[in-house]
Amino acid sequence: MLKMNNISRIYQSDTIQTHALRDFSLNVKAGEFVAVTGPSGSGKSTFLNVAGLLDNFDRGQYELDGVSVQGLKDDELSRLRNEKIGFIFQNYNLIPDYSIFDNVDMPLRYRGFSASERKRRVEEALEKVGLASRLKYLPSQLSGGQQQRVAIARALAGEPKILLADEPTGNLDSLMARQVMEILHDLNKGGATIIMVTHDPDQAREVSRNVQVIDGQLADFRIYAPLDRSTGKTVSAAVKEEMADA
Amino acid sequence: MRSNSMFAYNLSLAMQSFKRAPTLYFLIMLTLSIGVGVLCANLALVNSMASDPIPEKSDKLIHISMNTWPGDQPPDEPMHILRYRDAMKIAESDIPKRSAVFYASGVYARDVDSTSMKRFDSTVRATTPGFFKLTNAPFAYGSAFEKSRGMEVVIGDDLNQKIFAGKNSVGKTLELDGELLTIVGVLKPWVLRPLFYHVTEGRAFNLTDDIYAPLETAIDLGWSIHARSSSADNYSGVEDTRDKNAYYLQAWVELDDIHQRSAMQSYLDNYSQQLKDAGEHPLATRNELHNVNEWLTEKKVVDQKVLAFTIASVLFLAVCIFNASSLLLSRFHAAKFEVGLRRALGASNRQMLMQGLTESVLLGLFTGAIALVLSWLFLKLSVQFLPRLANIAVLEPKLLVLGMLLALVTSIASALYPLYRANRYTISAELK
Ligand SMILES: Nc1ncnc2c1ncn2[C@@H]1O[C@H](COP(=O)(O)OP(=O)(O)OP(=O)(O)O)[C@@H](O)[C@H]1O
Ligand SMILES: [Mg+2]
Repeated sequence: MLKMNNISRIYQSDTIQTHALRDFSLNVKAGEFVAVTGPSGSGKSTFLNVAGLLDNFDRGQYELDGVSVQGLKDDELSRLRNEKIGFIFQNYNLIPDYSIFDNVDMPLRYRGFSASERKRRVEEALEKVGLASRLKYLPSQLSGGQQQRVAIARALAGEPKILLADEPTGNLDSLMARQVMEILHDLNKGGATIIMVTHDPDQAREVSRNVQVIDGQLADFRIYAPLDRSTGKTVSAAVKEEMADA
Repeated sequence: MRSNSMFAYNLSLAMQSFKRAPTLYFLIMLTLSIGVGVLCANLALVNSMASDPIPEKSDKLIHISMNTWPGDQPPDEPMHILRYRDAMKIAESDIPKRSAVFYASGVYARDVDSTSMKRFDSTVRATTPGFFKLTNAPFAYGSAFEKSRGMEVVIGDDLNQKIFAGKNSVGKTLELDGELLTIVGVLKPWVLRPLFYHVTEGRAFNLTDDIYAPLETAIDLGWSIHARSSSADNYSGVEDTRDKNAYYLQAWVELDDIHQRSAMQSYLDNYSQQLKDAGEHPLATRNELHNVNEWLTEKKVVDQKVLAFTIASVLFLAVCIFNASSLLLSRFHAAKFEVGLRRALGASNRQMLMQGLTESVLLGLFTGAIALVLSWLFLKLSVQFLPRLANIAVLEPKLLVLGMLLALVTSIASALYPLYRANRYTISAELK
């Protein structure tokens, strides 16, 4: 589904170069639910932005759902974004003066669907997140958790191949975070491929696969849920030990 | 279908954008429409001044100036007014298709059958009958008089409206400065801008005349008020000028084709030579022929001040565009988040560009509407200060179209840089 091979992303400012990703490689199969963890500033968001075609990269190969991404024109990239990717942000990123319906409808507008098809999809997506009755509400009339569910519905409405979520529960209290996670798990059970950046180790443990990013590189991509519990060590420490052993 | 619904969506987004920042968009519209309005008003003046009033044959209508002044203090240039014998010499030539010899004057007019004693101050063109066909004067009723002598007149639409409420007044009798003349023809509304047959004496933007009278009759009746004349002799009145060196007649000829111009030139030069041989042409022979456009240029009908002002208003419009552009830049900057979001959700740069252009076009249309109203106001205002502009300060349909186009172009021009900038935002920058 998603294949990254030696991807580098370098941010160039006047004085400093930041290697946000260096020789980053990752392979995600269809149907996986991947949690991405790692210290702040390690490059998790950069990875997700590159994966979601919101940011370009300097070196390496990236293949999304069988399509090689490098060298594609803006039109083609936008099409891929629109049709294959659903993005969920930490800040929901809803347009405040748009109704819930119009917010979810927005990506469909760039897809050329008929009005009735769009309506069907919007209602279906909102149904999945349990907000079918709030079509006419404004985002400000919903709780944070509900707003994030609207954002999920927006990501779902186009029936994407893959959902990318950058700390989707980062702004939510634990109860609302729970609801959002349950929706994501349901979607994953329904066959959706999901990559989620999170700071919450509990959330990371729940999912099928866990990867850690340190200094712009993948540190470990084993299923490690039992690992830190049993050893009591941090993941990066475990990795270092392994590397020293090798 | 798809592009249609995209266009409709972009239109609704544009309206939404206006609603989100109404004050800002109002300022932009005002800025641009003042710039466009001022320029448009100026172009309206230039257009009236610079247009060819009789394009179908302007190259075949020739105005004649001669240099036959016999007395002291000769003029520097050949004179555009001729004395009677010179003008008649032109009129009797059979080289041109037709000719018109005339002078302008004024009378007070009233309908003899009217119970009212109200008299209308009317302009008179005392002319040979060739005038009507030469100038393509449009007849509503009746026809031209056929001779240069006779108690007959043709009247213009304005006067016919005033005295006869626009009805067919052929056969009615007018009392003109105490004389009774019968109406044989009534003209339709007739606009000549500039009034090419009489651009001298500051009359280039006067209206067409109220009354057209046979030349000889007008001379016999002594109508000479307002007439421009120069004389080397003394005379008692215009009726006494036929054999005097009194210069007051203008002469135009209509050629069948422009090649007859040289024949006409030789005809006049021959005539001057005869005068010279008889010792009656002390000045150098200089007979000048100008077709309509040459004549308008020669007489500087396009006011240089208006031209200068037009250039100034082009610059002013440029300043308005810069202003609007910086306002739009701030607007686009504020909309950065939404641009990023739309791009993230799958809008291409091209689609965002179309969205921006749709907004600009819509803004341009609104701006155009305001600009046209403003330019109409500017013209009204300029007439208040400069009454002589009254008949040229008009917005012709083609200027309305031009104003609209200008507004569209300026609106798009002001959005170009902001759009370019918006297209280069990193998508992820605004999204957390
Ligand atoms: N637009 C940018 N310009 C310059 N440097 C950037 C830019 N975006 C990110 N970086 C840098 O790249 C590195 C990786 O940033 P990134 O946002 O991917 O980290 P992160 O793992 O998501 O952190 P967090 O957990 O705090 O969200 C950081 O050092 C950051 O300062
Ligand atoms: Mg991040």
